[in-house]
Amino acid sequence: KKKMKNLTLVVMLLCYSFASSSGDTTIHTNNWAVLVCTSRFWFNYRHMANTLSLYRTVKRLGIPDERIILMLADDMACNSRNQYPAQVFNNENHQINLYGDNVEVDYRGYEVTVENFLRVLTGRHENAVPRSKRLLSDEGSHILLYMTGHGGDEFLKFQDAEELQSHDLADAVKQMKEKRRFKELLIMVDTCQAATLFNQLQSPGVLAIGSSLKGENSYSHHLDSDIGVSVVDRFTYYTLAFFERLNIYDNASLNRSYDPRQLMSTAYYRTDLYQPHLSEVPVTNFFGSVMETVHTDSAYHAFSNRISNSKIKSDTPFNQLSEQDVKEDLRNTHNQNDELKTEKQKCPYSEMRADLHEKLKKIENVDTMVNLSIAVMILVVMVSSSLL
Amino acid sequence: MEETSDHPNPTTSTPGTTPEPDPKTMRSSKPGLKRLLITTTVLFSFLSGLPFLWKSVEIYRSQLPFHDIDSLSDQIKSTPLRFPCTFHALFIGFRSNDPDQLRSEIQDGVNQLTGESSQCGSCNVSISVTVQSPDELCSETFPSTCSYRCGVIKRDAFGGGLDDEVDESLDDVFGGCSGGIGKMYSVVVVNKEEGDGGDEVKAVVGKRRHAWIVGSGLEERYGEVVGRVSEVFVKVFMNGGREEGDSIRGEFMPVGSDGRLVLSFSLLNSNPRDWIYDWDFQRIDEGLLAPVTKALAPIADISVESQVLYHTPKSSFSSWDEKLQSYIFRTSDLPFFVNSNEWHLDTSAGASGRSKILQFVVYIPSGKECPLHLQLPNGEISKTNGFISPMWGSVIVWNPRNCDKDSESPSRNMISPQDLEQIVEVFLGQFRQLFGFKSEAIYTSELGSYKILPSERGFTEWELDVLSRKHTCFNLHSCATTLGSLSRLVQSLPRMIIKDEIGEQVKYSLKAAKLAQSNASLGGYSSSASSSREARSLAENAFFHPSIMSVSYFSYEHCFAVYSPFFLPVAGHVVLAALREWKRYKQEKAKYLTWLTRKKTA
Repeated sequence: KKKMKNLTLVVMLLCYSFASSSGDTTIHTNNWAVLVCTSRFWFNYRHMANTLSLYRTVKRLGIPDERIILMLADDMACNSRNQYPAQVFNNENHQINLYGDNVEVDYRGYEVTVENFLRVLTGRHENAVPRSKRLLSDEGSHILLYMTGHGGDEFLKFQDAEELQSHDLADAVKQMKEKRRFKELLIMVDTCQAATLFNQLQSPGVLAIGSSLKGENSYSHHLDSDIGVSVVDRFTYYTLAFFERLNIYDNASLNRSYDPRQLMSTAYYRTDLYQPHLSEVPVTNFFGSVMETVHTDSAYHAFSNRISNSKIKSDTPFNQLSEQDVKEDLRNTHNQNDELKTEKQKCPYSEMRADLHEKLKKIENVDTMVNLSIAVMILVVMVSSSLL
Repeated sequence: MEETSDHPNPTTSTPGTTPEPDPKTMRSSKPGLKRLLITTTVLFSFLSGLPFLWKSVEIYRSQLPFHDIDSLSDQIKSTPLRFPCTFHALFIGFRSNDPDQLRSEIQDGVNQLTGESSQCGSCNVSISVTVQSPDELCSETFPSTCSYRCGVIKRDAFGGGLDDEVDESLDDVFGGCSGGIGKMYSVVVVNKEEGDGGDEVKAVVGKRRHAWIVGSGLEERYGEVVGRVSEVFVKVFMNGGREEGDSIRGEFMPVGSDGRLVLSFSLLNSNPRDWIYDWDFQRIDEGLLAPVTKALAPIADISVESQVLYHTPKSSFSSWDEKLQSYIFRTSDLPFFVNSNEWHLDTSAGASGRSKILQFVVYIPSGKECPLHLQLPNGEISKTNGFISPMWGSVIVWNPRNCDKDSESPSRNMISPQDLEQIVEVFLGQFRQLFGFKSEAIYTSELGSYKILPSERGFTEWELDVLSRKHTCFNLHSCATTLGSLSRLVQSLPRMIIKDEIGEQVKYSLKAAKLAQSNASLGGYSSSASSSREARSLAENAFFHPSIMSVSYFSYEHCFAVYSPFFLPVAGHVVLAALREWKRYKQEKAKYLTWLTRKKTA
């Protein structure tokens, strides 16, 4: 454990030095994750499982819910075709239930649209949208953007009804960079012809990993005969296999090579916009939670002085009081005079009421007083009615 | 098409007579203009309606003042904003010094310390010096900015008593000084008589805008005195006692883009089965935090909220140290201390989307880890047991008085007011750190150390001035870049609707930015800070207006695709008809002309 922690410290220093040497003066403040599943319908179970697996990984490595935006276009866990209600698996051995008891979905169902997705990235929400649905990153944030679903040449299909074009994505990233909403961005896309989605990207600080090249399909990994559909995609499966072996103290690098024979497609890395070399980028840069911390050396003793001051003021004899104290006394007496004046000017009626109020407050047993007065009232009524 | 014009019946050409006009090449009557007129009138009416159609499908775009935006960004980039400051040095008990010479030396010292670059937020310095000789005769540089009554400060009686009292009395002395434009900062150097306290020099910086250096035999150490005075002016009053480079680092400006800051205080009982602690937060808020929030009002609109949480273990580990008799966690554990999965801190209902939230956490360890202390890399135990994370907030680990669990049932306790005050003192130190200041009240340099008096408001007045200046710079810079991005975005999408609201916000933002710049040149630090904050928040509102979505604008292709099925077929027919009529008219006209010439020649 100690060695691990030393290594982490060294890695963090390396990270920091790399960040500063890359010409950027901002420090890495936090990590965010935007995980998007864009397909609906039961036979796209695997896309949901992809996204939920990555959600689980990212949470396990330390990114909290408040910094994860999870967008699921359909509900598989509570789907009527699901043999295992409220459970989502990414493997036929059913070992891990991805839909455990701590899943926070920010955009669900029909809320997952191209417009909402671009609003999340650019930050242009209506005023009423709550903070949990916003990407509140700052200029020191590293953002992981993972998208999965069905895609094609320069587009990604959303909800079977609309498309996200590569130039829309590039435009959104450009606006994010202009508004300094991220320091580094890692885009991972697991769809068919995923690499084409990155064709129009221009902004620096973006690293993109796609699961297949133009003209290639991305395939699912295996079919779960119990559930009846494929439960995970190949690219995500091999990515997860890598992450399952890590914990938050590890310093493995992002330089992962995917075997094209296992993937049945060629994984594509777009690194020309990203300055640090991949082998020097630790995984915790995007997938973990790293806080920059500074020790507080001392407290700010603002109040001990106040106590000693008040003590001294009471001790000093009268003729040593500074001018300011005299001024303050004058001011106080002025206030008192004003109060007296205003009291005299108050209405005598309200004075009487105030006196009565005070007297009533002083009476201990109000209940008996009330009962007594009710009895008196009844008596008066009887007497007056008998007189009439 | 029917031929309605008359044309002569084809006759055989008889020999001897003039040949009958060939209907294909000649006609005897002038061709009529009716048909041409009708078709061209229809075409003309179409064409004349085109501008109306164009106007009706025009995208409404509010006119943004692109030129003003560009000039603002150029202005901010080219000339860094500087504020006027007045420095006044008062030398008491110096016999033989010429104030003008002193002034030039201090000016040299100041220039040396500020260096060549003028960064945004620095001071346009004007220095004035007054010298009071031991016989209480004064000489001052001309023009005198301060009406200091000679002899008010007595050389011998100075410095006796508490530093706070000295500070207050100095404020009375200099209270009458208006100081020209900008705020006046003063340093009083008192040369006491020999043999009063040895050789030591005491330097104190007060809570207002005054500092004093007291020592004996200072006339001999003339160079050092001038050096220290320049240091106080530049390093302390101008830079706030912080070492920073050229750029203004955004991670020490935790103010949201709408100018609001939410301080979220949480008391974390990590294992309520051992003990439960509660606090009277209302008292802290009203008594101790209210002055701080009021002092920072020009910089940020601060609101405070608090919560108490239970079952919140930390995610890093600690080890038992036998020598120190406590559980130890190290600085290397700090990045992993905050257990974001189980600490549900971000539950603020009052913060809007663009405010900044700072989390202040008081962590009470469980019985298994009590007492819990932070060990620094050099082996010492931390005095505060706390740390900050820039732009996130801070954590303090507070150990209960006695770590023994009394009985099975958990005890409910309130944190005592004295402990609360100590906690709030650490909070104030951390709050200052989050804004880029040091948490301790001392400034050390090669020439010596300066004691800084702590203020109840968390920041002394000169520190608030530094904050105002830095934040004005940052806000104006951010406003200019945001407006620049907005104008580039709007110009790159010529068919995107720009609502009136956006135009208004841009206009007001530019106005507020100009106001901030003019306030800065007049020396009003806090007014320039608040108007720059307004400028930035208006610019951000305009940029992040939800209607500027590139997905939902109407491109030319869209417009064409929508309107062409209506107009293209009809327009095609009308144009074709007019062309055909025109061609026919020309033909017939030519035929008529050849017939006329034939007639003439015949």
